[in-house]
Amino acid sequence: MPSVGGRVRAGIARAGGKRVPALAATLACATAALGLTGCAAEPDPGTVTVLNSATDTAEHTANQRFFDRCAKPLGIKVEQISVPADQIASKTLRMASSDSLTDILELDGSELPQFAQTEGLRPLKEAGVDTSGFSASATSLGSYDGVQYGVARSVNSLALIYNTKLLEDAGIDPPRTWAELREAAKKLTEGDTYGMAFSASPNADGVYQFLPFFWSAGGDEAKLDNGKGEAALQLWKDLLADGSASRSVVNWNQQDVNDQFVAGRAAMMINGPWQVPVLSAQKNVDWAVAKIPVPEAGKDAVPPIGGTVMAVPKNEDRAREKRAGDLLNCLNSEQNQLQWGESVNNVPTRASAAQAYAEQNPKLAPFAELVTTARSRTAKVGTGWPIVGDALAGAFQSVLTGRTSPEQAMDRAQQQASAGK
Amino acid sequence: MTTITSIAPAASTGKTNSKTGRAPRRQRLLRWLFVAPALTYMGLFFGYPLVNNILISFQHYTPKTYFTGEAPFNGLDNWRAVFANDLFGDALWHTLLFTVGSLLGQFTIGLALAVFFSRRFRLSGMVRAVLLLPWLVPMVVSAVVWRRILDQEHGMLNTVLHAIGLAPADGVPWLSSPSVALLSAVLVNIWVGIPFNMVILYGGLQEIPRDVYEAASLDGSGPWRTFRSITLPMLRPVITVVLVLGFMSTVKILDLILALTSGGPADSTQTLGTVTYQLSFLQLDFGQGAVVGNVLILISALFAVLYLRANRADFGKGK
Amino acid sequence: MKQPTNLPAAVPANRPTRSVRLRSAWNTTAALLILAVLLFPVYWMLNTALQPDSSVAATEWFPTAPSLKNFDTAISTQGGSLLTSLGVALGAVVVCLALAAPAAYGLAQFGLRGGQTIVFTTLITQMVPGIVIANAMYSAYAELGLVNSYLGLILADASLGLPFSIVLLRAFMVSIPTEVVEAAMVDGANRFTAFIRIVLPMSRNSLITAGLFTFLFAWSDFIFALTLNTTDDVKPITLGIYQFVGAHVSDWGAVMATAVLSAVPAAVLLVVAQKYIAAGITGGSVK
Repeated sequence: MPSVGGRVRAGIARAGGKRVPALAATLACATAALGLTGCAAEPDPGTVTVLNSATDTAEHTANQRFFDRCAKPLGIKVEQISVPADQIASKTLRMASSDSLTDILELDGSELPQFAQTEGLRPLKEAGVDTSGFSASATSLGSYDGVQYGVARSVNSLALIYNTKLLEDAGIDPPRTWAELREAAKKLTEGDTYGMAFSASPNADGVYQFLPFFWSAGGDEAKLDNGKGEAALQLWKDLLADGSASRSVVNWNQQDVNDQFVAGRAAMMINGPWQVPVLSAQKNVDWAVAKIPVPEAGKDAVPPIGGTVMAVPKNEDRAREKRAGDLLNCLNSEQNQLQWGESVNNVPTRASAAQAYAEQNPKLAPFAELVTTARSRTAKVGTGWPIVGDALAGAFQSVLTGRTSPEQAMDRAQQQASAGK
Repeated sequence: MTTITSIAPAASTGKTNSKTGRAPRRQRLLRWLFVAPALTYMGLFFGYPLVNNILISFQHYTPKTYFTGEAPFNGLDNWRAVFANDLFGDALWHTLLFTVGSLLGQFTIGLALAVFFSRRFRLSGMVRAVLLLPWLVPMVVSAVVWRRILDQEHGMLNTVLHAIGLAPADGVPWLSSPSVALLSAVLVNIWVGIPFNMVILYGGLQEIPRDVYEAASLDGSGPWRTFRSITLPMLRPVITVVLVLGFMSTVKILDLILALTSGGPADSTQTLGTVTYQLSFLQLDFGQGAVVGNVLILISALFAVLYLRANRADFGKGK
Repeated sequence: MKQPTNLPAAVPANRPTRSVRLRSAWNTTAALLILAVLLFPVYWMLNTALQPDSSVAATEWFPTAPSLKNFDTAISTQGGSLLTSLGVALGAVVVCLALAAPAAYGLAQFGLRGGQTIVFTTLITQMVPGIVIANAMYSAYAELGLVNSYLGLILADASLGLPFSIVLLRAFMVSIPTEVVEAAMVDGANRFTAFIRIVLPMSRNSLITAGLFTFLFAWSDFIFALTLNTTDDVKPITLGIYQFVGAHVSDWGAVMATAVLSAVPAAVLLVVAQKYIAAGITGGSVK
């Protein structure tokens, strides 16, 4: 180690007058001489690189298994670069600025429009990806301005997950309407256990959980003050006022909510299928999945659709785009989608695969059904979503902490959203 | 092995200036060679990004820019947009409260601990070293732990406070109430900053020669008087360093707040740091993000100027 | 620690009377209490790591049935990352001190024109947010081939401690009497040799302090490690922790175990460094 420091210092000292270039040269030589350079100048033609957020070992290896399965017949290798989910966007941009983008980008669905707008992504059709046969919601998740740039292997949504034993003991059926939800949550609240738990954190998690209530009530993300969304704010507020949900929901992300549920501190929670492995691994709580309650009986729930989409950045070497496209085609074959969906507990996006999935996983069928009516966050507002989402977060946070009434909150949110445009 | 025994900087300045001023050209150049490597390095690692950041704040800088390199200048548009945003004023105020609160807490506790650990007793060195451990804990982990500790219903802090009769029946809403959350963030940041303050102040205390204390105790001055009339004045250069550096790192704080509250509830813990992050990395409006970043740098520059003026002796020209 | 017995000269009235011993015992008790309060979050990490089967939200106060399962996971996957962190942090310390010590000395002793401006600028640089630096550096690094290299990360991490080290070292070096160095130069040493032979040893305490903090800054760096690496070739422990932190689901037990484990080598180093600071102090007071 000391030799590295010494060399660099000597180099800088020697650089003297013509500082910058000389230093740069010295640095470059130093790395080469020490054999420490790991950055290949030219990408390997036989390797397809993927940027994703599969940082944890389980997800990373699961991904690699499917990649390898598809890469072998194509005679290529697949390499993943995984960074924490909230870093994907900035990492992508940095790579773009230095022309070192990966061959495939796996972005969160809600981020896609912003990248599509840069014109740095190749329309999937042009990369040779077969985009037919997908569910409408999945297609919309990967599209911007009517062009499909991203393909989702599987998608998720939200549902009501409940503690079967607690509901049985109280003689309650899973609630289907908001009125039933309030009633049930009140009855189920006892001692250390709240009837209901959800995430109202001021970031993507909280917004994602607010949407099924907001949309089911008739809320419109393009016109926040249309007078319908307030009902959803009122419901959340009531749950807290009744004492049926902890006031800490304003801090909880979706993982925290699940932790509370598993600890037996919540009889019901809003959460997604990605929690299934955690729920299955523990023995404390028996659970089941139900649809998200709706404002009135007979109405359809409108949950958000979530998940990642895979996109192909433009590349001067069109052959690389083609290889990426081939890989995507294989990953999205009916069989691969079905198996992938089962391995991550998400719903496949090919209609045929989704159906098979629902049949084979009855416990998760409510998710599979929800996905058919689910809505994409960016379908209406496109690149404006981050600002709208932020405005919504501001609205439910200020209502839940008693700062404003639901009406004021929505008016203010609309002002914020239109000011940000 | 010898160590510096006389620290009083004011006494030893002056007089040599005339000598160094007359140094031959070659020698003067040689002297610059001591500073040149560090300057070059700082130019590359700080100057270049800083200039970049200033430029960006006057540009329409979007995700597209990263792909095409095009970033048209848009004058003061970004600045106007930021100043028109209500959140900016709030964040400025929160940043001020957060910084002052954190510094006060960190410094007072750090100094108290430094004085305490200057006494000789069994395990003193061990305990002092182990107190640095919080620093080694990655922020994502500290935040998870602290969120559990501060949980209103089941948190360890409320449980303890309740047991000794200091908390109301339903607990203190540490993180869930907009009027308390900023205070909680300050508390956690004080916890993070104590080791830093303690170690540097401890080092400073050790440089104060022991015979000064002995003289004082012969004069019959009590511990509090000794502290005020000897320890504090002699420690002043170090105190300056601690406070200035503490200010610089506290005012731009980001990850702690993001991990603890994400700026909530109801934006009550939004600081300039979190607003920059939100603008640049969530809304991908890099121009406006850069504006807030520049405001931060401007504030610190202002602070630094004021402080340096008041403490010329500690940060002045040297000899 | 055996300090008191080592320093008979430092404590003139060192008769171990009963009251002195009693006071020492009181102090030790107080110190342990302080430790208990300040280190509670660290205890909680350990506690959570030792209870793999309980939910994170409902961890018991004490690990009544401790299990090392989480530590097994952590050790088997994170051993290499620990070494990387250690190497990178030590490298950053070397680079940082090599740059900071001469600069601090120059600024403290030479009366350079514009010296004050430089100190001021140094302070301001401390303000540039890490993410801004990381963003700007990435393109430069990509062109220089420094992405995914140890040297690249070491150089970047050194920036975390550099302004701090310069300011701190300078504050100490201002008080070095000019006469000491000039006496050495009369003896034929040139300025550089005098710096190495006289100034550096005299500044040992502050060098160790600056080094210590640079080490801590570099050790806890996340932004540079994330930004300047695209592969797993250079993966410090702060990134390694993310092997258990997923986008949706995290294995907090394993995360806590990794965090505890990652603190161990650094803590050992801290204890050693503290001992050196203490040794330097003895030298001072003996004189």
